[in-house]
Formats: sequence, C-alpha cells, structure tokens
Amino acid sequence: MSALYLRDRWFEDLPIGEFHVFGSHTFSELEIVEFAEAFDPRPQSTDPVQARLNHRQGLVASPWLITAMWMRKMVDYMEVYAQGVNDGRRNGAGVAINDLQWLDPVRPGHTVTYTYEIIAKPDRVIRQKWGMIRSRNEAFNQYGNKVMQFEIDILAERRP
Amino acid sequence: MTTAPTANGHLSSEPLTLDKSAIVDFAARFDPQPYHLDADAAEESIFGGLCASGWHIAALATRLISETLLQHGHPFVEMISVSQLNWSRPTFVDEQISVRIALVASLSESPIPDTHTQNLQVDVCNGDGAVVATMSATAAIAAEPTPGAPQ
Repeated sequence: MSALYLRDRWFEDLPIGEFHVFGSHTFSELEIVEFAEAFDPRPQSTDPVQARLNHRQGLVASPWLITAMWMRKMVDYMEVYAQGVNDGRRNGAGVAINDLQWLDPVRPGHTVTYTYEIIAKPDRVIRQKWGMIRSRNEAFNQYGNKVMQFEIDILAERRP
Repeated sequence: MTTAPTANGHLSSEPLTLDKSAIVDFAARFDPQPYHLDADAAEESIFGGLCASGWHIAALATRLISETLLQHGHPFVEMISVSQLNWSRPTFVDEQISVRIALVASLSESPIPDTHTQNLQVDVCNGDGAVVATMSATAAIAAEPTPGAPQ
C-alpha cells in the first residue's frame, strides 16, 4: 500500500500541529432556506424578502448550517482517506465544543473553506479504548474573512 | 403552549420527538456516519444504537430556545457564540428532547444592529429528564419586543 490512510493511524500516531483543509462549499439560497425551515427557523434564514428588512439586511445561513457543513466536509474528507472503517466501529465521537463563534454572516453564493488543526491531546482515556484529540477548526469565506471558529474534542481509537 | 418559569427562574420548552427518519435525514445530509444512518452498524459502534447527530441536537435545541424565549418576551434573533457545548449522552430513535434555560446577564456588545446580548445556560434533556447536552451560549435579542409577543 502506497497511500497513507489517516485512519490506518491510531490515537498515538496523530501529531499535534497536523493541519488539514477539509474543502470548500458554496451555499445556495435554497439550502439556506431549507435548512432553516427544517431545523432552525428564523425569518433572516427562511424568507428572502422579509430578510432584507431584518437585522442582517438580507438572507443569512443559520449558524448551525455552517457548523453542520463543517461536519459534512470532515466526514467526506476522512472517507477519502479511510479504509475498512465504513461499518463505524472505529468512528469516534465528538464530546465537547469550546469557543464556538460565528464571526461573519454567510449569505447565498458565499464559498466557505474549512480548516482543521490538532492543537492538543488531553490526557483522558475513555473506556480503555479511546483517547481524545482537540482540534481548532476555522472557516473562511471567499474574501478571506473568518466566518466561524471552534475547538472540538473528538475521541480517537487507541492502539490495541 | 408555554410552560411557566420555574421557581428558580428557569424557562422550559415543550418536548419534541426525534423519530428515525428525522435522525437519518439530517445525518444523510450533514453527518453520514454509520451510527447515525444504520441500526445494525450503530449497535457495534461507540454509541451502541442508532442516534442523532450532535449537530442535529444543537440546531433543534436552538429552535426550542428561540421559541421559548419568544414566548417569554425575549425576541431571540440569532445565536452569536457558544462558549461551551457538551454532548453527554446520545439521543436514540423516538426519544424526546426539551430545553431548560437559565438567563444570565451579559455585558458584551452585540455585533448585530438593533440587538443586545443575553447569556444562556441551557440543559438539553431527554424524556426521562436526563441531560443529553449542555450549552453556554450568547444570543442576540431584538432591542424592541416583537409586536404581539406575550410580555
């Protein structure tokens, strides 16, 4: 095997400082409206006409659509590098978020790029099997403005 | 329907139920991992059963927070930041969630025009009253109450 698959590695193999660009997503008006209607209804995200008169002066994505898309980009990115883990037994789970901020509104047509950096490996062991990886995650729009940031603790399987 | 504030000042929402199609629909779009999509795979996973994405829970909690604050005369506009969010237990198929909100004073300025900030300490509970998530958040509240909203 020539490629180095991320999930061929265990908790012990993941270095602080490792950096990835998960990819970019361009948000459409339709998906902004559909997400808000389904999960987080707010006039500034569901009604393009009324939103013009609203606090944001135009349609904006629900903050939780921006984070949900981070999750999707991470899963897609990891799938590319994952091998033999599609049954989910090695998939860890997020347990805690710190310092989540939405810094700039995301509007229809905006393209957001998501980045990930491992910043710490807190000394915690869960059920003997899992270690904890802390990452700083950031999202930037096409103008280079940061639109979102957070830190997340995700469990990663320890070497058996 | 609004529940009255409890004696210690908490505001509580009505519950909502997460059925399998809701869990799978969100996950298919935003968090397509086996434990959110497939019951058999989920049994072998870290959660031990098919359960909702944590981001689904966060979005729905915000919906419940928004509705509850509005009913109590606090016209919620948008979430600005979440200083801490902990997912403490999974939410499985057909379980309910509701939120319990404590209002905490905020001194920070709102980045959104014509709003002020309000800090919220939120417990997301399941139908048994067990906490599934906690959230410390700062929300933007409209400066003028929405016309027609109960005070």
